[in-house]
Amino acid sequence: MKNIKRVKLKNFKKFTEIQIPLSNKLNILVGENESGKSSVLSAISLVLAGSRGQVEKIGYERLLNHEVVEAFQQSDRRFEDLPVAYVELWFNDFREYEVDGRNNSEGVDAYGLRMEICPNDEFGPTIRQILQGAERNFPFEFYQVRFITFAGHAYSGYKKYVRHIMIDTSRIGNDYAVREYVGDMYDSFAEPLEKIIHQNEYRKLKEGFNLGPLKDLNDRAEKYSFALKSDSKSNIKTDLTLIEDSIGIENKGSGRQCFIKTEFALQRAKGVQQRIDLALIEEPENHLSHVNMKRLIGLIADADDKQLIIATHSNMISSRLDLRNTIYMHSADKNPITLADLPEDTAEFFVKAPYHAILDYVLSKKVILVEGDSEYILMAKFYEMVKARTMEEDHVHVYSVGGTSFKRYLDIAKLLDIRTAVIRDNDKDFQRNCVDLYEDYNIDHVRVFSDPDDVRNTFEKCIYQDNDDFCNLLFAGSRRKLTVQEYMLKNKAEAALKILEQMQDEFVVPQYIREAVEWISA
Amino acid sequence: MDKRLILSVAGSGKTSYIVNYTDEERRFLILTYTTNNVTNLRRKVARKYGCIPNNIEIYSYFSFVYSFCFKPFLLNTVGANGINFKDTAHFQLKGDARYFDRFKRVYSYRLAKLLEVKRVMDAVKARVEKYFDAVLIDEVQDFAGNDFTLLERIAECNVDLILVGDFFQHTYDTSRDGNLNKNLHANLAGYKQRFEAVGVTIDQETLGNSYRCSRTVCTFIRHHLGVAIDTHRQDETRIEYVTDDGAIRYLLGNKGVIKLFYENGKTYPLNSKNWGDSKGEDHHDDVCVVLNKNTDKLYREGRLPELPSRTKNKLYVAMSRARNDLYLVSEAAIKRLITG
Repeated sequence: MKNIKRVKLKNFKKFTEIQIPLSNKLNILVGENESGKSSVLSAISLVLAGSRGQVEKIGYERLLNHEVVEAFQQSDRRFEDLPVAYVELWFNDFREYEVDGRNNSEGVDAYGLRMEICPNDEFGPTIRQILQGAERNFPFEFYQVRFITFAGHAYSGYKKYVRHIMIDTSRIGNDYAVREYVGDMYDSFAEPLEKIIHQNEYRKLKEGFNLGPLKDLNDRAEKYSFALKSDSKSNIKTDLTLIEDSIGIENKGSGRQCFIKTEFALQRAKGVQQRIDLALIEEPENHLSHVNMKRLIGLIADADDKQLIIATHSNMISSRLDLRNTIYMHSADKNPITLADLPEDTAEFFVKAPYHAILDYVLSKKVILVEGDSEYILMAKFYEMVKARTMEEDHVHVYSVGGTSFKRYLDIAKLLDIRTAVIRDNDKDFQRNCVDLYEDYNIDHVRVFSDPDDVRNTFEKCIYQDNDDFCNLLFAGSRRKLTVQEYMLKNKAEAALKILEQMQDEFVVPQYIREAVEWISA
Repeated sequence: MDKRLILSVAGSGKTSYIVNYTDEERRFLILTYTTNNVTNLRRKVARKYGCIPNNIEIYSYFSFVYSFCFKPFLLNTVGANGINFKDTAHFQLKGDARYFDRFKRVYSYRLAKLLEVKRVMDAVKARVEKYFDAVLIDEVQDFAGNDFTLLERIAECNVDLILVGDFFQHTYDTSRDGNLNKNLHANLAGYKQRFEAVGVTIDQETLGNSYRCSRTVCTFIRHHLGVAIDTHRQDETRIEYVTDDGAIRYLLGNKGVIKLFYENGKTYPLNSKNWGDSKGEDHHDDVCVVLNKNTDKLYREGRLPELPSRTKNKLYVAMSRARNDLYLVSEAAIKRLITG
C-alpha cells in the first residue's frame, strides 16, 4: 500500500518549519481554528496534483509565509536571501526509481515528492531591479512553482504516483462545488485511457444527435444550424453527475451531499485499477446529524485499505476513531504532537465512553476537571469570586468528567502539557483516593485538589459546612423530612443552581477549591 | 550471473537478440548510444509485447547517466542545467570548472567521471541493482573514455549484463577525455581483455553470422577489409566496380539504391548519405558505395586493409548494408558526371 510517512512544510502559508508524521492508515488532525489543519491537507493535495495552475490560482502571495516575507523586507533584500517555500511528501518504500533519490531537504536516500516555490532565476535581472527599488516591493509575481521527485525528475499531474482524493465538505451546496466534486471523483476513479475513450464516445454521441434528431430542424433553418456544444465548458466532465436512487447529488440536501461525498470516496477499491491510495477529508462532520455522524464514523473505521487524513473539530470523530490516531496541531513553528503513545485502555475508554468533550480538552491550555454537574454549575462563579476575573479572561476551561475517570484525561495531559487541576471528593479516604491513586501523575502541570478532612467527603458537605447559615435559609422551604445537607446531596444539580442564583459576596468557597483556582491561574 | 560481451557482425540481428533476451518477468534496462537506436529498440520491443511493458526501460546512454545516475544523487547538492555535448573544458581548469561550462551544463564527456569524483558511484551501482535484474547494452563498441569506465563499474553490479557490439563497426566514441582509454580499440585482443578483466566472458559464436549479407558480400569484406564476417545465407549476389557512365547515371538516378559517400553524402541528390551514418540501417537491398580518391586507389591496388582503422570500419559499415547487390563507384567519376 502506498502511503505518506511524513510531510515537511517550510515557509508555506502559516508554517515556518514543521514536520508531521503520519500513520499508514488513519490520521486525525485536530487543532484550534487557524491552526493550519486545512493548510496541511491542501498542501498534500497540491503536491500530489502536480498542477501549476492550481498553485497559481491560489497565488504565491498567499502561499509564502508572511513572517518570512516580512523578515526579508526588513533585511537588506538580497537576491540570494529571497525566501523559498517547499512542501515535501516522504513516502514509504514503494520502489519506483522515479521518486527515489536524494533531492530532498535532508539529502538522504528516500522516496518522495517535493513542491518548491522559489524565485524564477530567468527573471534575475528584473528581480534585482525590483529589490533595489525604493518602494520596497516584494517580487511575488516573479516566483514559480516546481514539482520535482526526490530522484530529480520534474513531474506533472499526468503521473499519479499516489492516487488521492480531496473532500472538502465546507464547500458544498452550490452548483459549482458539486460539479467540481463530481469531476474530481471521476478523475480519481477513471483510468486515463478510460477517460479519453469516454470523451471520444461522448463527442460522437453529440454528433449523432446533431445529425439525427436535429436534422429536420436544421434543414428548415437553412443558413444556420443548431448543434450541441462540445467545448471545454460542455463536455463529459461538466455534464456528469452522481446518481443515488435515481436522484442526482445536486438535488440532495447538504447533509446527504456531504455523506455521499465521503462514502463514495471511502468505498473499497474493486481491484487495483481503481484503488485510491489516499483520501484527504476536511471536516466530514459538516451538515451531519448525530445519526449520520455515527454512520460516517463506521465508514471511516472500515476504510482500512487506504491512508486517511482527516481534519476535524468533532469530539465524536476524534475519540470514537481511537484517540491514538490524533495529531494535534498546536503551533505553526513547532511539530505537532501525536497521541500515538496514549495507553491502550485510555484510548479504548474514550471510544466507548458516553458523550464527552475530549477534543475540547485536547485543545485547551488550562483545565479544571470536576466530577459532576453541581461542581460544573458553580465552578465559573467560584473562579470569579477567588480571582475577580472570569475563566474566559484567563483561558481556563472547566469540564465535568462524570464520575472519577480523571486518570484517562491525565494520560492525555501528560502527553500534551495541559495544565490540569482535578477537583474531586475524597470519598472518606483522602490519602488513598486523592494522593496515592495519582502517584503516577506526579508532574508539574497536573495537580489533584480535594478536602483533606475525610469527614468532609463530598462537595455538597463542604459547601454546606462552610456556608451553613446561607444554606439553611436558602433550602428551608424546599424540604420536608430531610436535613438541609441531606436535601442538597439528594438534589445536587438543583441545589447548585439555586446557590448560583442566590449567592452573595460573603459566600465561602471551600479552601481546596480556592487552592485549585489559585494554582490553575498561576 | 550471465555477463557476456557478444561480438557480432553486421546484420547478425543484434537488436533482435537484445529484444528476445527480455521477458515480462524480470526488470530490464536497455541502453544504446543513439536516439535512432532507441526508437528502433522501442519499436521492436513494442512489436514483441504489443506495448512497452513496465518492466523494460529503454534509455539513450546520456539520458541514463544524467537522469538515472546523476540527478537522483546530485541535482540538489551539485546541480546542473543539462548537458553540453559540444565543448570541452580547458585542460588547465581546476575543480568544478573541469566538469561544468559557464551555464552550469555538464560536459557530456565528463558526466560519468563526475559520478566518480562526487563519490556517488557506489550509490549508482546500488540503484542499478535495486531497480534492474538485467542490463542490456547495444552498440557497446562505441563506449569510450569515461563512459567505458562507467561501463566497467556497471559490470561489477550484481545483475545480468549482456553487451552487444561489433568491434569493427566502432566508428565513433561516446566521448573522449585526454588519454583515458585511448588505446581501448587498438586491437581486438586487447579489447577483449578489458572485458575479461571485469568478469565479462566473450561470446563470438552467437552473433557471428550475418542474416543480411550474402555469401558474396561477406567473402568480399573478409577478403578486402580483413573483417571476420560469415553468413547464414547460401545465395550469391552481384558485386560490381562500375565505370560505365550510363550505369553510374542509372545508379545516381535510382531512388531505390542508396549511395554511401565517405563524406558530404547529404550534398548529393537522391538517397545519399555518409558511410558511418548508415550504421544500424537494415532496409537497403542494393547499395552503391562511393569510394573517395584514396580509398579508390587502395581498393584497386588491393591494399584496403592499410586504411586507418576508423575509415576502414566506416567502409565496412557501408558495404555491409547490402542485402542484395553491391556496387562500387569512384567519387571522381560521379563528380565528373555531375559537374560535366
